[in-house]
Amino acid sequence: MSTADTAAPPAARRPRPLAQVVLYTVLGLCAVAILVPFLWMVSASLKRNNEVLTSPIRWIPDEFQWGNFTRIWDQIPLGTYLGNTVFLSLVITLLQVLTGSFAAYGFAKVRFRGRDALFLAYIATIAVPWQAYMIPQYIMMQKAGLTDTFLSLILLQAFGAFGVFLMRQYYLTIPDELCEAARVDGLSEYGIWARIMLPLSRPALASLALLTFVNTWNDYMGPFIYLTSNDLWTIQLGLRSFVGQYDADYAMMMTGSVLSVLPILVIFLLGQRYFIQGVATSGIKG
Amino acid sequence: MADLLTAPTAAPGAAPSPPRARPRRARRNTLIGWSFILPNFLGFALLTLVPVAGALALSFMEWDSYNPPEWVGLDNFERLLRDESTMIALRNTAYYALGHVPLTMLAALGLALLLNRRLRGVGFFRAAAFFPYVTSLVAVAIVWNMLFNPEFGPVNQFLSWLGVDSPPGWTTSVDWAMPAVILTSVWRDMGYYMVLFLAGLQAIPTEHHEAARVDGANAWQRFRAVTLPGLRPVTFLVLILLTVQSFKVFDLVVVMTDGGPGRATLVLSQQIYRRGIIEGEFGYASAISLVLFLLVLVLTLTQFWFNNRRERS
Amino acid sequence: MIRRRMLAAVGLAMATLLPLTACGGGEDEAEGGPVELTVAVWSLASTPEFQTLFDAFHKANPDITIKPVDILAADYPTKVTTMLAGGDSTDVITMKTLADYVRFAGRGQLADVTDLATKPESAKLAGLDQYKQDGDKYYALPYRQDHWVLYYNKKMFDTAKLPYPENLTWDQYVEAAKKLTTGTGDKKVYGAYQHTWRSVVQAISAAQNGGDQLGGDYKFFAEQYRTALALQEAGATQDFGTAVTQKTGYASMFESQKTAMLPMGTWFIAKLLSEKKKGTTDVDWGIAPMPQRTGASGVTTFGAPTAFAVNKKAKHAAAAKKFVEFAASIEGAKAIAGIGVVPALKTDEVLQQYFALQGMPTDELSKKAFSPDKINPEMPVSDKTAKVDTVLNEEHQLIMTKQKSIDDAIKEMETRVKNEIG
Repeated sequence: MSTADTAAPPAARRPRPLAQVVLYTVLGLCAVAILVPFLWMVSASLKRNNEVLTSPIRWIPDEFQWGNFTRIWDQIPLGTYLGNTVFLSLVITLLQVLTGSFAAYGFAKVRFRGRDALFLAYIATIAVPWQAYMIPQYIMMQKAGLTDTFLSLILLQAFGAFGVFLMRQYYLTIPDELCEAARVDGLSEYGIWARIMLPLSRPALASLALLTFVNTWNDYMGPFIYLTSNDLWTIQLGLRSFVGQYDADYAMMMTGSVLSVLPILVIFLLGQRYFIQGVATSGIKG
Repeated sequence: MADLLTAPTAAPGAAPSPPRARPRRARRNTLIGWSFILPNFLGFALLTLVPVAGALALSFMEWDSYNPPEWVGLDNFERLLRDESTMIALRNTAYYALGHVPLTMLAALGLALLLNRRLRGVGFFRAAAFFPYVTSLVAVAIVWNMLFNPEFGPVNQFLSWLGVDSPPGWTTSVDWAMPAVILTSVWRDMGYYMVLFLAGLQAIPTEHHEAARVDGANAWQRFRAVTLPGLRPVTFLVLILLTVQSFKVFDLVVVMTDGGPGRATLVLSQQIYRRGIIEGEFGYASAISLVLFLLVLVLTLTQFWFNNRRERS
Repeated sequence: MIRRRMLAAVGLAMATLLPLTACGGGEDEAEGGPVELTVAVWSLASTPEFQTLFDAFHKANPDITIKPVDILAADYPTKVTTMLAGGDSTDVITMKTLADYVRFAGRGQLADVTDLATKPESAKLAGLDQYKQDGDKYYALPYRQDHWVLYYNKKMFDTAKLPYPENLTWDQYVEAAKKLTTGTGDKKVYGAYQHTWRSVVQAISAAQNGGDQLGGDYKFFAEQYRTALALQEAGATQDFGTAVTQKTGYASMFESQKTAMLPMGTWFIAKLLSEKKKGTTDVDWGIAPMPQRTGASGVTTFGAPTAFAVNKKAKHAAAAKKFVEFAASIEGAKAIAGIGVVPALKTDEVLQQYFALQGMPTDELSKKAFSPDKINPEMPVSDKTAKVDTVLNEEHQLIMTKQKSIDDAIKEMETRVKNEIG
């Protein structure tokens, strides 16, 4: 395997103006249709709370409540929540990508007894709903004295099976001859992982990082159960705090949701660029 | 079982070697393998595997979450068979999975193929496709329920315009609530799996496409001969993840219909939550989890087996 | 195989681990010095009664400061269940629902407060009976009790030239609702808004018919369902399916004047007062007694209490008990009545203070609504409550969305409660 730039389909090579127009129209319409609930979210964030849930739905607020976006900072310590969420998401993503891709190499490219049974145990646990083992897990954490700390959540989410599974599948697509050649060249297994596998799996790493980041960012139940002190709360807990015992402040909730989506948008736009750069295999002999 | 799971790769240990050297080499490989896996495994085993196994063990006990559990043998499983709501939840979950898995798979693959090109603004369109996954669930539930509203919802207005006489009641109807939930969940998840497919498409070397083109293959033939086989490991990943996540579905159902109307969209995770946290019977809830776990395990193994057989042929 | 061996080992570990959490228990404390008392509450910021109580308590007991443990309202029971299972030592736990209380008490997670409950001052606490366990034991003391009343929009009644809803029967209620319904589409105003909770039909029916919601015989629901469906059929209330799927907020409906009448609990008073003060609504409102059955004498409605309990593993058990007692006392009642919350202790003094609140309607009808002749429990308490609740709620949805006839659904309730709960 030598160089592979990107799997650019023919349409991109021979630009035909008409086809381009049709393509953009179709894509644009799809995008709007897909974004309808998001648009509602934005519209609700600009309303008074008792105007949010009306039927039939009103898409354009009577009076734009731009003040919602400043008011929310006074109502909840949004800055603290955002900081906590960023910290947790970054640490968990980093650990998940690192340990996940490392373990995946063991599962995909090294053969040893018990490997597949172990792998099965990994993915089988994904099948157990969290509601089922939440309490035993909490009891263990409590015994270790880790509840109400970031460490509990980091430990809990950084070593998930998801990353291992994802990376293993991508490593399977990388030909073994590549590893063999590297071994002949005298590279250790760790060297192969670091110098060949990691650079080759950039799109996969990007997608793992992106999905882990988003999942951690949007996680509600984990932080809810493990973080009790208000100064440790994450953004999702902050948003739910607008739900009271008998009623909810949906306008504020949507305002917060809009704000919390913006960082994800940035992360996504940064991460998705790796899907077009392709596998930069030049320089590695096959 | 081990054989059936074997990854179809020629790993170092598989290389023919003289019989005497073999044990040492095997031991060395085991050590290397474990050294890769260990950092992740330690955290995973301690914090996930142990509580999961503990929870599954609880299915043979009666436990109120506080006092010592009591061994009850198979009582919980007997009860499970008699519990109409659990059986309905099981059926609904299977129904959901049957709709959700293939439809999401197709939608995600379609999106990935459509958006895997050099195109001005492709980042925006990819972000748009991914956005349903990060849109607030409450917003999702409210807007989709509005779209599905039997009287003034656009979906039914469109259907009557097409000439459908009595369009369905969607989330207010026992028969149509589940299809409505499935459609919403496909819409929500397709961008997520699109990301996995997009990454997978990058792994297919361009020269394979080129070679096929030189051979005179048309787009469909190239898709069949190059893209699909190249995507196989990723497709397998998506298939397993989708299956697992379909059987565990919880959040979306809770906010969209909360299992209703009646028990029309009650799913297993909800039943586990109700019987456990709400009603305080953790042993019984664990028994339902064990059934769910075994079900998914069998499905996963079957998929593994099919996958490996296809790889070999 | 590895997995099986692992499972066995883990099972063993769990079996030895779990019982450990049960013993232990709270340390004895040396009272006297300053104490920091922890109290588990929900949505502290949007539930001002908690901070009000804490401040009043601290003023009365300067050596005890209170540190709230703020838990989101929506999943409060989940978190408290988990915390208590892990042996958490938060001192005071707020009992959000009676069903939660029964579970925590049944597991032995709450400290016995029978001595507080049997004091003569406690006899006047509304809803105290519902906390009685095992015959004569109490593990919590109520500090507030809400009951259901009929909120109405005075201006709409005036415009329609209808008398305010005094002594309505259910039939008169439906008639009034029909007359008060106006407009279409965006401008539609409903005569009444019946929220989607099953209590709106079932609890009021049980309270006024003397029916038992745990009993397994539910024919007494039928009449109330006919009323609810008649209202819906006439278009005088929002369609149930729409209300559920659009998550219609009863507060929005009333505050933005989309409904003339609203049967709802007294907790809504505090919200209305604060929203009017903020200027987010200008609805001119009053409360009236709930409509009654034809021929019934007196006003019967239903209500539910909220209580504080002491954690069995509390770090500061004595101070915790002091707080629970304070919250239910006249000082506690006056403190929360001052912000429009309805206390469990309703003495004349407290009532007077309540109606002196700024913005509170002071007409005779409202006062009458506030002191009904009989407040029955919303739902009887037993270890079956949660399960029966689920069944009744599921069948309620089927009746209201017209997926099942009233009779069929009631029959189904009876069989299911018999088979599934027994």
